Amino acid sequence: MRAVLIICGCLVLAALAAFLYSRRASLRETFKLDIGNAAPTAAGGSDTSTEKGFHTRLVGLGIFSGTILGVLAARLFSMQLLSSHDYEEQAESNRTRTVTTAAPRGRILDRNGVELVTNRPCLAVAAEPDVVDDEIEMQLLANLIGMPYLAVRRKIQSQNEGAQSKRTVAVDVSRRVVAYIDEHPYLFEGVEVQERTERLYPNGSLAAHVLGYTGTVSQEQLEWSQDPRNTEGIKYNAGDVVGQAGVEWQYESVLQGIRGEQVVYVDAYGSVLDSSSSIDPQSGSDVVLTIDVKVERVAEESLERVIKRVHDSGQPDCLAGCAVAIDVTNGEIIAAASEPTYNPSVFTGGISYDDWERLSSEESGSPLLNRVISGQYPSASTIKPLGTFAALDYGLATPETSYYCTGWWTGFGEDYGQYCWNHDGHGGMTLQTGITYSCDVVFYEIGMGFFYSDNPEGLQETYRKWGLGSATGIDLPSEESGRVPDAEWKWNYWDTSPDDARSWQGGDSTNLSIGQGDLLVTLLQMACVYSGIATRGTIWRPHVLKSVRSSTGSGTVIDHSPEILHSIQEESGHYDLVQAGLSGVIYEESAAQASHFTNMNELVAGKTGTAERAGQNPTGWFIAYVPADKPKYCVASLVEKGGYGSESAMYVVRDIMGAIYDEPDTSDAVDSSGVR
Amino acid sequence: MAAPELGASPAQRHMGASPRRDDASQVQRRSKSSLAQTFYLPQLVPALLLIAYGAVVIWSASLNIYDANFPRHIIGIVLGLATAWFIRNYDYRAFANMSTALFVFDCLLMISPRIPGLGVFGMGMTGWVRVPFIHLTFQPSEVAKIVTIFLMASLGAQYNGKIESLREYVKLCAILTVPFLLILLQPDLGTGLIVLVTGASIIICSGARRSWVLVTIGLIVAVATIAIITSMTPGLPHILKEYQLNRLIVFVDPSVDPGGSGYNLQQSKIAVGSGGLFGKGIGNASQSGTGFLPEAHTDFVFALLSEEFGFVGSISLLALFGWMIFATLELAQRLEQPFGKLVLAGIVTMWSFQVLQEVGMCIGIMPITGIPLPFISFGSTSMVAQCMAIGVVQSVWHFRTKAA
Repeated sequence: MRAVLIICGCLVLAALAAFLYSRRASLRETFKLDIGNAAPTAAGGSDTSTEKGFHTRLVGLGIFSGTILGVLAARLFSMQLLSSHDYEEQAESNRTRTVTTAAPRGRILDRNGVELVTNRPCLAVAAEPDVVDDEIEMQLLANLIGMPYLAVRRKIQSQNEGAQSKRTVAVDVSRRVVAYIDEHPYLFEGVEVQERTERLYPNGSLAAHVLGYTGTVSQEQLEWSQDPRNTEGIKYNAGDVVGQAGVEWQYESVLQGIRGEQVVYVDAYGSVLDSSSSIDPQSGSDVVLTIDVKVERVAEESLERVIKRVHDSGQPDCLAGCAVAIDVTNGEIIAAASEPTYNPSVFTGGISYDDWERLSSEESGSPLLNRVISGQYPSASTIKPLGTFAALDYGLATPETSYYCTGWWTGFGEDYGQYCWNHDGHGGMTLQTGITYSCDVVFYEIGMGFFYSDNPEGLQETYRKWGLGSATGIDLPSEESGRVPDAEWKWNYWDTSPDDARSWQGGDSTNLSIGQGDLLVTLLQMACVYSGIATRGTIWRPHVLKSVRSSTGSGTVIDHSPEILHSIQEESGHYDLVQAGLSGVIYEESAAQASHFTNMNELVAGKTGTAERAGQNPTGWFIAYVPADKPKYCVASLVEKGGYGSESAMYVVRDIMGAIYDEPDTSDAVDSSGVR
Repeated sequence: MAAPELGASPAQRHMGASPRRDDASQVQRRSKSSLAQTFYLPQLVPALLLIAYGAVVIWSASLNIYDANFPRHIIGIVLGLATAWFIRNYDYRAFANMSTALFVFDCLLMISPRIPGLGVFGMGMTGWVRVPFIHLTFQPSEVAKIVTIFLMASLGAQYNGKIESLREYVKLCAILTVPFLLILLQPDLGTGLIVLVTGASIIICSGARRSWVLVTIGLIVAVATIAIITSMTPGLPHILKEYQLNRLIVFVDPSVDPGGSGYNLQQSKIAVGSGGLFGKGIGNASQSGTGFLPEAHTDFVFALLSEEFGFVGSISLLALFGWMIFATLELAQRLEQPFGKLVLAGIVTMWSFQVLQEVGMCIGIMPITGIPLPFISFGSTSMVAQCMAIGVVQSVWHFRTKAA
């Protein structure tokens, strides 16, 4: 408004000029100035001055008109020549809109190219947040789509997709609904039909925990993507669909395509008049996983079946479990199953509140939890090979050291006596047979040995050397690290307890050596440990990405190159001992157990485990690698509250091996001895 | 100017040698001057150019704006020029002694839209009259502007250049107030202001004393201030309509309400400014042509013109108005009779003020009012009324007693 003031100033100056002019024009007369129109008039002069008076007044009128034209011209000069650039920009931003077209997300394929996740086109109805104030409009919308009024209202109120963005009311609406909304824009103000591509899961819930799910970009993700400090990430728009879990999250930057943009010319009512430059959307790259659909399916079905069998046989708490199969030569995850599971398609188009509650509540058994990497359990007897390595490395035992198991061990005195799981006693034992028969007494001795040795934490050091207590770094989100307890941890953890309860006790060492108590591991960590045993020291970082395949252009493939996670040095003889012990577990521990593996052409080596917790059915473990003479795969499974490992997890492992080698389990022998 | 002189000089040089040629040149001069005798060209030429310019602008507007009906605009021009020809042949001096009749006619025109069966409501006011039997409406206030000029000139001319008594001055002012107030009833503040300013200009030119005029202006400012204050205060009678008040507020600060009244002003300024030096060309006006600027063919026609033809186009328009206005003033100076002088002064004031108001509103230096740009805006009544003004100027020329 400064310009207006300047112009007003000009007008005043012009009026003054007119006054001065009129004064000079008739010097001898009496002058009066009428500022009303900036028109000076001479009046009240002598009688003979009529003609002269008219002349002066008309000149004044001329100055008035000239000033008007001059002021207007000056203002036009300023607007059209000096500031025209600013106005041009405003006019341009008035008439142009940038329309974006969503790029299809890349597909997710299994190692053989079978589609695990793909896309399908879909029509969705979305509404502005303020539509919630219009009850009639919401009622109309509800009737049209065939949804309850309250459901429509709740969808529009929901801020899941960001406070400012449009709220998805319904997806997969029919053509009839679309046509009706398009034809009656005045009835449905603020409501629009969006063409989207939705994630499609041809195999239902298969590999759900690996694949993860997509969702509308969250407020934090949106803000971070637009943060200037974030230089490499994708810039999202509100309402974009992004990966929120699993591979969808992990490889978001690969799967997410690049939005197409088109500049269009619009009129004041938003109708498109013409279009200008456009950038075609670039669909995201396909991700090829190491997962084998065939093995994955068997793993999930077997896990589900075993859990159901245990559950139905009088263990109502047995509801969950997990299984994983790794290629020990490169860390590829061939299959990863977690039960209970979910169907990722409930997330497409925005998950409903009820579904979310159901999936995230503990009563439902946390189906969203990927137990392979996020479930933390005591390892139970599956830890025993590591105790063996520790005893050998720290000189607490030799391959020839002999132990005697009576079923009741009193190494810390009669008051602190502990049972072997086999109360009848194993008799004479060595390290190797201690593994084979999972004799607790052998490992009580080792635990006690460490407790009294110069290096009381040698056991923990060995566990950590093998990767326990730290995440494997698998390319999936939410991996847990587990816990290797030591004196310092215990002291801090029980900081409200009396000192003697906080300090490390002999019982802690013996618990640690048999994998009970405070030790926590993930199934994946243990699978890595057994991979290392199988390969004699080389643990590859587990991963699910096999390659990335560009979906545009030449279809470039970028292969994922495996990397070594741990390289463990143990004496060759120690490996021989442990491997022989693990082989014994399969073929010698129990005849029934052996019958499930003698029907395979490949030799197997493995270990059972039974993690006990007071008042609960124990969690059963089974980990094995195959072929034992030339290891290729390591398969691990655990069933929460599923009883002994040999009764539950063993079947899952055997079924997975059967799927890998196409040699299904034909034995129906049931182990009744309760080997652990 | 130089070319005709160069052409004439050889003829003068051979004057003695070739009398026939001299005759021929005199005949030619006579026929040339006969056109100049018949019409006052310095005013007629720019007026016709303005009408042609307007026709081009309205034609370009008709490409994009449905309401801008080009044939109707042409009909308005034809009707206007016919009226102008009729008035030109009528001796304007006949009105000098018809003050009473003019006053009654003026008031009738102003009041006619209020007569049941005649008036038509539109654009927030009752400013139109339906012509019986034909499907046409017209805006009597446009014609009333011209009638008011004649009325005030006929009254002012009586004083022969000097109003001696305050009583006479007050009488003049009171008479002017009547059509002004009647126009406010419609309500049409824009046209009312034109009538007021035009009438005031004639009173001043008639020889009113300075002190009287200053006091009158002071009174008007005081009344206007009171009107605005009472309109803004809840509980007190609102003299100004809410939209009028909003326009004033927006004029002071257009960013107050960019979606409402401020929107028009903002869009208009963008249209004018984005025109640049040469404009965007006919039919390429993205602001005026695609609905961002409402009323682009009537109230905001100058913005349309500026956007399409740029600074060159808008300055040409002002130059044409300037040419016409100063030529008319020149004619007024040459007249002897006060009546003619005052009529022409009124017409010049009307044009000047309307240009100030219309153009000024489009570029944000005047508040928004809905008045047309003379000769350019779409609307037949305005076109006919402005052509009547041409006719009056031409009649003054036609019936001049003596060229000064």
